[in-house]
Amino acid sequence: MRTVTFLPSYRKIEVVRGTTILDAAQRAGLSMNVVCGGQGKCGKCVVYIQSGKTEFDAQKYGRFFTQEELAKGACLACETLVQGDLQVMVPESTLIQEQKILIEGEDKPIDFRPSVKKYFVELHPPTLSDPSPDLSRLLWGIQKSGGPEAEKMYVPLEVLREIPSILRHSDWKVTATIGLVPGGYRCIDLQENDTSGRVYGAAVDLGSTTVVVYLWDLVSGKVVGVASNYNKQISCGEDILARVNYARKNGLTRLQALATESINSAITSACNTAGVDRDDIYEVVVAGNTVMTHMLLGIDPAYMIAEPYVPVVRRALSVAASRIGIACNPNGGLFAFPAVSDFIGGDIIADIIACGMAERDEISLLIDIGTNFEVVLGNREWMFSCAGAAGPALEGGEVLFGMRANPGAIEKITIDSGTLTPNFSTINNIKPRGICGSGLIDLLAELLETCVIDRTGRINTEIDNPRIRKINHFPEFVIAWAKETDIKKDIVITENDIKNLIMSKASIHAACVTLMKEAGISRHEISTIYFAGAFGNYLDKKNATTIGLIPEIDINQIRNLGNGAVVGANIALVNRRVRKQLDEIAHKIGYIELNAENAFMDEYTSSSFLPHTDLTLFPDVQKMLETCRLRKG
Amino acid sequence: MTLKATFDWTQEIETITLGATKANGGTRKVAYTIGGGTTLPFLEPAGAAKAPLVAFEICDNPVFWPQVIRDYCGDLTNNPADWAKVAEAQYGADLVRLYLTSTRLRDFSDIGSVKTTVETVLSATGLPLIIEGSNEPKIDSEVFLKCGEAGQGERMLLGTAEAGRYRSLAAAALAYNHSIIAQSPIDVNLAKQLNILLREIGVQRDHIVIDPYTGSLGYGFEYSYSAMERIRFSAMKGDTDLAMPMICSPADSLTVKEVREHEPGLGDEMAVSWEFYTGLAAAAAGAEIICVRHPKTIPLLKQAFANLLPAAGNAGVP
Repeated sequence: MRTVTFLPSYRKIEVVRGTTILDAAQRAGLSMNVVCGGQGKCGKCVVYIQSGKTEFDAQKYGRFFTQEELAKGACLACETLVQGDLQVMVPESTLIQEQKILIEGEDKPIDFRPSVKKYFVELHPPTLSDPSPDLSRLLWGIQKSGGPEAEKMYVPLEVLREIPSILRHSDWKVTATIGLVPGGYRCIDLQENDTSGRVYGAAVDLGSTTVVVYLWDLVSGKVVGVASNYNKQISCGEDILARVNYARKNGLTRLQALATESINSAITSACNTAGVDRDDIYEVVVAGNTVMTHMLLGIDPAYMIAEPYVPVVRRALSVAASRIGIACNPNGGLFAFPAVSDFIGGDIIADIIACGMAERDEISLLIDIGTNFEVVLGNREWMFSCAGAAGPALEGGEVLFGMRANPGAIEKITIDSGTLTPNFSTINNIKPRGICGSGLIDLLAELLETCVIDRTGRINTEIDNPRIRKINHFPEFVIAWAKETDIKKDIVITENDIKNLIMSKASIHAACVTLMKEAGISRHEISTIYFAGAFGNYLDKKNATTIGLIPEIDINQIRNLGNGAVVGANIALVNRRVRKQLDEIAHKIGYIELNAENAFMDEYTSSSFLPHTDLTLFPDVQKMLETCRLRKG
Repeated sequence: MTLKATFDWTQEIETITLGATKANGGTRKVAYTIGGGTTLPFLEPAGAAKAPLVAFEICDNPVFWPQVIRDYCGDLTNNPADWAKVAEAQYGADLVRLYLTSTRLRDFSDIGSVKTTVETVLSATGLPLIIEGSNEPKIDSEVFLKCGEAGQGERMLLGTAEAGRYRSLAAAALAYNHSIIAQSPIDVNLAKQLNILLREIGVQRDHIVIDPYTGSLGYGFEYSYSAMERIRFSAMKGDTDLAMPMICSPADSLTVKEVREHEPGLGDEMAVSWEFYTGLAAAAAGAEIICVRHPKTIPLLKQAFANLLPAAGNAGVP
């Protein structure tokens, strides 16, 4: 065994010779930024070997480093093998940074009909004249206390084995936990004395980046704790594709365990805050995308990432939570949301539940934006959905100074139309380091309104202003001068960045229009647009319309759902009727494969314009831009 | 029985004036008004129907010109003024399109020569001119301004604006009242986008000619054809941002394998065939101006157009 010590935290771990430093770090509990899934492609897991013997092909991966860095012992954690005892310095930038995690969902009164209930019963002990068996005595007692009919309750062997001793040990005062499962009523636990006030459930949003848990008191119908943390699978790859590839190479076990661990640690911290025993959690409802759900359940997702992109299972699943290692009552159940396709998963079904679009006659448009986007259009009668790649631009990728919503990211920005001086705010109000998605949308809209860019996003280099310049390949606009920033570099947006942003917004808008055409409706018939996910919560609705990210409708009819996945999971946790509808909703949704849709490319080209080639789709934006142009002269 | 082929279309194609005669402040012997269509090509009622115009393309440096044309036109290719004169007098062209290919040589800097070339060509022919400027954004602005200045008052057609570079061309056209060729890569949306961009910097709709880009026959022309159809249909149905005349240049047809590697003695025949059929198809798709490089293509196209027009047709072309 070799000992690897990670600095500056001095975390130590013993590993066998030949283990990668990345593996060692993961076992030591360090979450490294591994965008590529540990394939030596992204160059993000940089560490510095302070002392000790390693094996690393500096020639092969030399492109990631300067000579100076190599001289200091720089290497990639995923491609470096431990040979002797090591001291490894881990720079802060290699670790996953704190990110704005969206916990809040839209507050919405929830119909409270939990599927787990506890019944406290005081039974008469058996006598020679009343010799009925323990089980029927218990079940009758439950029925008499208002529970389900005795014959309709099923008692599994594990509980049955405990009945005789618990009944007698508690002097015939017991609390039975009855759950409504797909097969009917099931006695899932038996405890001594009156514990009927202690029934909890957890609603989980299992995202590929973050995990959010809401802990519910299923007696009072109140949320008693909320917790969130990173999905620890990030250490096996930042995006889903990288993780599926990791699973193909190394098996699914680790990813399954990390998913469970991520949920468990969030459940644990929620329980700690609320002072709840994890054993009193009887139900866990999980809404996650299709791949996440598969991984959590330990179902191989390997075939989902290749044509023809079919998941293993679409319908909702109920399993014993203990079978996949969830930290709750050993007899507790886990309910996983159903999916529509590989790309429209349980998280989107949860969004649909959260916004209630499946209950109304009016037509709603639901948009969930991340690296991928999902769009659902419809009402109680019908629904169409599609998904696509928005590209990383809206999350700050493929944009020179783009970044995730970390501290120092410019998140809001306006530009003075006369002087072109930007006015911005950053996350945590520190000096700017880059721009995140919501800032980029503001920027695009502001540059358009101030006529710095034309409708194709090209910068008008004829404008005489020091902020507009061309130094390298592309014309660029300076947002912040080096002296104003935290990174001591001018923060700029280039014409190429803008092009990437327009491509992202065009694919989302084109997807919306494709669904609208499929349904044969115009934008006037859309009553509400819902943004789900973190991105929607921070973006400026007016600016999103100005650049043509979404169809133009009354701005008051655009709603942020917040974390729709967790809201939907909450609703399904506390309302068993909703859970029954999920499969039906998932089944009703038609999935449009954009790759197979000829019209999509055409829509995409016409959406690759600010706001759109067909200006009649954006009458108010058009009017506003005309005014801006006239003002500019 | 005549077919009324206007359906429920409401939008007319914008009319654009090319060339200015003395009466209008220019020196051209002839001026044209193109556009004005209310339906698909060759379906206008007799009297209203106009044949597409045929422009002959010349250049001021033949190194960039196809060998087959250099062989056919001989020494003329070294003298744009004489070449333009012959285009009018012998070839029977309606318009002359002058490519300032000299500006495409590396490190070209003799901007003054541009003005001289345009002026000599203008004085050599009485036909309206189409001028194609540089291919280099760095000198665009100066080249276009010189062209515009040299042809002031002549209502020329200046090319070619693209989405990535349109400002300098538009500035020259606006300053000297010329029209603009707006080229986009075979796509109805991109064509419209460029027209919006031009409109927003002040170019009037009656100063824009759409070049949807012409692929050569057998090598992608079908895409051009359908893009042109869509442009025209959208225009007729009321999209004013697409209701402009179109120009097509089958120049790519002269570099296809069949023309390049022709059998001995068949070079001209192959070049003319390829130009003719591409040009005719482009006219059928709605182009108002067809540009050719082989002189023998001109009479063939004109004959074909005459045959396609209704009996009393041909009114638009003097």
